[in-house]
Amino acid sequence: MIEIINQIFALESKLLKNGNDDYSRNFDRIANEFKNLNYHVINPIGKSYRNEMTDVEASISGDLNKNSKITKVLKPIIYEVNGNETSLVQKGIVIVE
Amino acid sequence: MKTINFAIDLGTTNSLVAKYDNGKIKIFNNPLGLKQTLPSCIAFRGNRIVIGDKALDYLEKDAENVCMLFKRKMGTQDTYFVPSLNKEMQPIELSSLVLKELKNFLPDDETLNSVVITIPAAFDTIQSNATKKAGYLAGFKEVVLLQEPIAACLAFANNSNTEVKEKEYWIVYDFGGGTFDVALVEVDERELKVIDHQGDNYLGGADFDSLIVQHLIVPFIEEKTGQSDLWKSLKSKSSTHKGLYFELLKKAEEAKKELSNFEEAEIELDININDVNLYDHLVVKREVFENLILSNVENTVTIIKDIIKGNQLLNSDIKRVILIGGTTYIPLIKKSISSVIGVEVNSSIDPTSAVVEGAAYYAGSKPSELKEEEIIEIEQTYEEVAIAYKFFYEQNTRDSEELITAKFSGAAIDKYRIIRKDGGYDSGVKSLKNNSFSEFVPLLEGRLNQFKVQLLNADLEVLKVIDPLSINHGSYSVNGQPLPNDICMEVDDLDASATRLERIFAKGSILPLKKKIYKTASKTILKKSKSNLTINVIEGKSNGLPSSGLSIGYIEIFGEDLEDDLIKGTDIEIELEISESRELKINVYLQSCDQEFENVFSESERSISINKINTEINTVLGDVEAVIKTANSLENFEYSNKLESIRVGLIEIQIEASMLQDDDISDTKFQLDDKKRKLIQEFDDLTRNELVAKEIEEYNDIKVDLEYHLNQDENERFKTKYQRIIQNEKEVINSLDKYLIRSKIKELEELYNAIIQSSDENFISYYLGLKFYDNFTNKRKAEKLFEQGDKALEQKDYKVIRHVVYGLSALLPESERQKRKDFSDDSKTGLN
Repeated sequence: MIEIINQIFALESKLLKNGNDDYSRNFDRIANEFKNLNYHVINPIGKSYRNEMTDVEASISGDLNKNSKITKVLKPIIYEVNGNETSLVQKGIVIVE
Repeated sequence: MKTINFAIDLGTTNSLVAKYDNGKIKIFNNPLGLKQTLPSCIAFRGNRIVIGDKALDYLEKDAENVCMLFKRKMGTQDTYFVPSLNKEMQPIELSSLVLKELKNFLPDDETLNSVVITIPAAFDTIQSNATKKAGYLAGFKEVVLLQEPIAACLAFANNSNTEVKEKEYWIVYDFGGGTFDVALVEVDERELKVIDHQGDNYLGGADFDSLIVQHLIVPFIEEKTGQSDLWKSLKSKSSTHKGLYFELLKKAEEAKKELSNFEEAEIELDININDVNLYDHLVVKREVFENLILSNVENTVTIIKDIIKGNQLLNSDIKRVILIGGTTYIPLIKKSISSVIGVEVNSSIDPTSAVVEGAAYYAGSKPSELKEEEIIEIEQTYEEVAIAYKFFYEQNTRDSEELITAKFSGAAIDKYRIIRKDGGYDSGVKSLKNNSFSEFVPLLEGRLNQFKVQLLNADLEVLKVIDPLSINHGSYSVNGQPLPNDICMEVDDLDASATRLERIFAKGSILPLKKKIYKTASKTILKKSKSNLTINVIEGKSNGLPSSGLSIGYIEIFGEDLEDDLIKGTDIEIELEISESRELKINVYLQSCDQEFENVFSESERSISINKINTEINTVLGDVEAVIKTANSLENFEYSNKLESIRVGLIEIQIEASMLQDDDISDTKFQLDDKKRKLIQEFDDLTRNELVAKEIEEYNDIKVDLEYHLNQDENERFKTKYQRIIQNEKEVINSLDKYLIRSKIKELEELYNAIIQSSDENFISYYLGLKFYDNFTNKRKAEKLFEQGDKALEQKDYKVIRHVVYGLSALLPESERQKRKDFSDDSKTGLN
């Protein structure tokens, strides 16, 4: 399942990068299905990076400081939700600059 | 006899912790990292200490405050000067920090006093003693050392049940991420002994990633972009492509892993170089990769040859080579060794965890010399620590970060650490200031965020754990306006041939709200037909009847509005949005027609259709009449009188409504709708408890049946699923929502059927039960089947019993299941 989420994520990122958002309805629908299957998928692109974030594996280029941002997301963060319990099942793989 | 049971692989680059438990080895996961491994790396950042994965973040920026590879310096006088602490750190202290962090991998109810720690074969007495000291410094009361190659041999022997009768020589080949070691081990029936070892401290799998980037990826990019000297520029400290270097290393590592299983791997590049985008694929063949790393691998094989020769042995004296370390996944390694040395090369054990696993087997057999009194004493010391504390934080918030402030008094607390229990946040170990701390913690959106706070002394020993602190994100805020009632949508309930309410937003949710829901069309609507699809958004109790709530948004989409046929089973996407000023926006998208409908409702333009009032009353009237009939037959006249007045009221409304035009602009239809709602609500309140009680009774019945079967040994495996289903039972029953209870009953029924069908023997009790029936549709046939069944029972031929049960079931009269009401198509919403 995790790999399916990753592939869909990659597909969406590629299409968006090429300026193609014709399929946003389909991606929203898929995202909703993941949610129903108890997966909470997060794309941290553009977020400030803090070293305390243990849900991402960051490759840091340059100096890590308060302005460091996540500039590229190779894999999204995935949590599994079970009632009130949430647990990390995939760390996001990101580039921080 | 008490045994040590716990083992730690204190590695140069990565460390692991495991436990021996009744013949099984449990390797603990990092609660913060999903991984079993903890990088042996520590970063000192002002008043904060970070251990493991996240310490690696600071390698580039602040290398002088990051300590790693300190295992190589164990037992030497070399120290690490840490500028941010203005202090020299000894390798022993650093190792003890890693050991303490590994303690955190254990669940809270496990205590670790005695442990086996592994050391390289190359460690001399001083280095070994230094490791022991690090263990004591980390708070262990008993430390036993074990050489890594021996541990690997133990893991192999235990996993493969190998028996050694005569003296044998084994080679342990350990190729990790950053180091390489070979050990020659003598094995006989009594002991394992390392007799020689050699290695290279600066060769590891990471070097191969770098080779892929340098020799394959960089030339490819240069060819495609015309860029020159890219390799040099990537590695330069002042480079503008630094982010790119790490990205390429990641891709190379993935390709390397893939090439261990496949003949070729594809590297997808989507990068920007000097503002030019390059999107391309590079295919790396295994053969090309192998050529790239060949000389490195050959060097390692030469080391094996040297070690054999140096001990006056022949290749044929070596019984087997055991591979450990992540790099040994590469097939070329196994191939090269077996072709050069010509012996069995074994890669059956997990190369990453073999050492800790073997050490845990050893720990499981090694008696602990720690006396009971000492353990009690240790436990008492911890219990005696009295700490007073106060926490201040917002329990409900909509902010993405929340401030936790705490004040302490009592014991000598010096440091703290906050961990989000889902694994997404770790503050690292930080110092208290004036016996207090304030920390902003990030929150997961829309979730209950639970935190664990550790309080530590100056030696980083955990004195107390406060668990959990809960912060609920998104549920309540003083600034927002909460919804006074549930907001629901009316959908078809095909089982009951009626409609029911589905909750979209719960009472108390904070405005503004937005949600997209997906439904499927429950009927086909041909274009230009008179048939319609109804979206009815209702404010009211979600467990009540649809017509008892207040309709706040109502859209009817008719066949004539459609550009194409709406086909049953296709998706209907409905987006509902309620603004802060309670304006409702409904956006409907029909997949099969590729059409969008948007409507905005505000209270001033409440839309009510006479048609709708009528059909709603019709549906309820049938139910009211049925209940009156039952009440009369039970001579419950008081109850039936109440119901009768509801019935009369509803009919009166129908008559009044029939006199109105649908485009009537007076208030009358609103008044009628209001009256209707009140009456239906009354009916709902009168009958709901009874219906719910029936559902609960059925729920309990099926539970009893299930538990009977679950108590049979052969059905043990279904227990977890059962527990999962009934886990939120209390919540479901207390909701008094018959639909929720019904859905639970359905789940239990499915499990029940799965259990029954999993084994022929389960049909025995069924069969015996059927013997009490006497109303079979074909008695003669039934008797014959019973004859067959009894015989099969005698012969214990349960397969036949199964078939007999199927046969007998077919002869039962059709159950008195409530037949579906004749439900006219137009009364459905069209939503499923």
